[in-house]
Amino acid sequence: MTSREVLAVAVIALPALAMMLLLLAPTGLVPRLARFAAVPTAVLALALTVLALRASGEPVVGDWLVVDVAGVLLVGIIGIVGLASVLVSPAYLGTGTDSLVSRERRQRIYYASLYGFWAILLAVPLVGNLGAAWLLVEATTAASALLVGFSGHARALEAGWKYLVLTSLGLGVALLGIVMLAAGIPRGGLGGLSWQALSTYSGGSETALVAYLLLLAGLAAKIGWAPVHNWLPDAHSEAPPPVSALLSAALLPTVLLVAWRSQHALAPVVGERTARTVLIVFGLTSLAVAVPFLWRSLPWKRLLAYSSLEHMGVIALGIGFGTPLALAGVAIHIAAHAVAKALGFYAATPLLTYDPRAGEHAVTGIGRGQPSLGATMGISLAALSGLPPSPLFVSEVLIVAGGFQAGHPWAASATALLLALGFLGLAHALIETTAGDSPPRERGPIAGMRGVAALTCVSVVLMLGLAAAAVVLPSSDLVDALVRGLS
Amino acid sequence: MSGAIIWTLVALGLAVLVVRRRSLAVALVTAQALILVGVALDEAESSGDVLAAGALAVRAVVLAGLFLLLVSRTRSVRPVRARVAPLARAGIAVAFALALTWLVPAIGLASRDAERGVLALIAFGIATAALRRATLFQIIGIVLVENALALAALQLPGGAAVAIELGVALDLILVAVVAVVFYERIFAEFGTADSAALRALRD
Repeated sequence: MTSREVLAVAVIALPALAMMLLLLAPTGLVPRLARFAAVPTAVLALALTVLALRASGEPVVGDWLVVDVAGVLLVGIIGIVGLASVLVSPAYLGTGTDSLVSRERRQRIYYASLYGFWAILLAVPLVGNLGAAWLLVEATTAASALLVGFSGHARALEAGWKYLVLTSLGLGVALLGIVMLAAGIPRGGLGGLSWQALSTYSGGSETALVAYLLLLAGLAAKIGWAPVHNWLPDAHSEAPPPVSALLSAALLPTVLLVAWRSQHALAPVVGERTARTVLIVFGLTSLAVAVPFLWRSLPWKRLLAYSSLEHMGVIALGIGFGTPLALAGVAIHIAAHAVAKALGFYAATPLLTYDPRAGEHAVTGIGRGQPSLGATMGISLAALSGLPPSPLFVSEVLIVAGGFQAGHPWAASATALLLALGFLGLAHALIETTAGDSPPRERGPIAGMRGVAALTCVSVVLMLGLAAAAVVLPSSDLVDALVRGLS
Repeated sequence: MSGAIIWTLVALGLAVLVVRRRSLAVALVTAQALILVGVALDEAESSGDVLAAGALAVRAVVLAGLFLLLVSRTRSVRPVRARVAPLARAGIAVAFALALTWLVPAIGLASRDAERGVLALIAFGIATAALRRATLFQIIGIVLVENALALAALQLPGGAAVAIELGVALDLILVAVVAVVFYERIFAEFGTADSAALRALRD
């Protein structure tokens, strides 16, 4: 095994081991053990990312394991967001005692589920096989649904139930697509579904197209692409904030990577243009559905959820355009969206302590009473709206330019128009949330704000770094590696 | 696999959509899964095939046990009435199944009957989740879809990968366990197993 393969196995094994230890450890040790295991997990993930990016021209490609640029980019993001989610979890757990499980088991089940979810998320980008990727994506449903409904409140139960039923049915449809593909691939067994073997499908282009459509439609239900996104605003808004961050910043792009790999592998069978057009249609539909909601006065986490729908649409468009410019934009967009969105969700814990009505109503004038919290929310929204110097501004420009470069002027123009409308909606929300009229509220320190303020500083540095990287990325070897994929 | 077995599986799936009692629906999907186990054992050519059949059997028994326990612990004073009458449900589901069969080209399974059976069962599963108001039926709809996919795996030329079959069984059990936790809490919180109560989250 190469060092990258060893690291890849360790990246998955460590959080899985931590999950088992969390289930067995004495109750008093659980929070400390959770924090203790988070740092080495994130360090391993980042080490793998750095090592694999340095060898971007030589991806590891096997039936079970792949280590390539797109995969390790996500591994690094999942590592960082997972670490931050674990670190801010004590503040969330300290805000109440309600949960799906008994009070004694509350912390244990929360952290064990979080680690289980984290381990599976880290495994998905590294798995070398569509069948195994499907199994892992389905497994994320069980772990994350438990976390979505963790508070046990009526709204959280509703959100968790919808998420469980809709994504399971969607993944059932995706599995039908996989079975259809398996029937037409000469090499049998699990190896027949490896990313490289998919292009050897020989069951006819019509059947391959239907299988591809079923696969993408099923995955769309998990990615949250419109029109099968109904669970997304509910689950993101009702989950504990650290879990919402993982759902939006890590789960959605991770499943999107499975769709991207499928598109890349099946393009020779269904046709390059057709394979990409499906993604462009999903992307434009998601943008068009999300934008009107960005103009509405929504509760904070619900607004962030609709912003996720918008950004998953933008990423789908970038992959659909598929040019080096667009793919450079996709890489920056995935990373910057993760940082900005996770920060926004982390701000929700102190926000809900400060104003418990924020769970069900739009908030205004937070910056007037709580400057630090207002600044965090403002930075998150400004970045998500694409306000320069946000790296999301650069990535969106790259993706739109990539659309023109790819010969899709209408789709690129529509993307630019919808992004401009989305920007105006979020800019309005930014002004209202931070500096709008503020009802009289208590001033003073809020629990959990110190950690969020520290994360805000780190996030600003990361986003400025990403904005700078976006300038040089389009001409780098990394983009060549993204264009080549696993081939 | 004979056409008679395939159409028996389809008939059981349609019955799930029509029956009123949750326990009867659980019995029907379990019977379906056990028939699939019998076929898998009959057609097994390697120890891997036997292992896959064993996983399917464990999945069928565990899910039946979980669901029946749930039914016994969440008895409603008044049964949840579906919005759509049984015959109308059956009609909608059959129309959906025919549309799917018409839209989807040859899948590549061992026989056209098997392909039609798989598509019909998937249509019935989705229709069950969409048209039945009792929340347990939404999970039973997912199990119906998974039974359809187990049938497809059995009818794949060369068979499906054992690892995938084991993984699917494990995933489904995990999802069902989480669903059971939710179901009990929903029943305790709302005092009903009616999915119509879950309508607070709307934009």
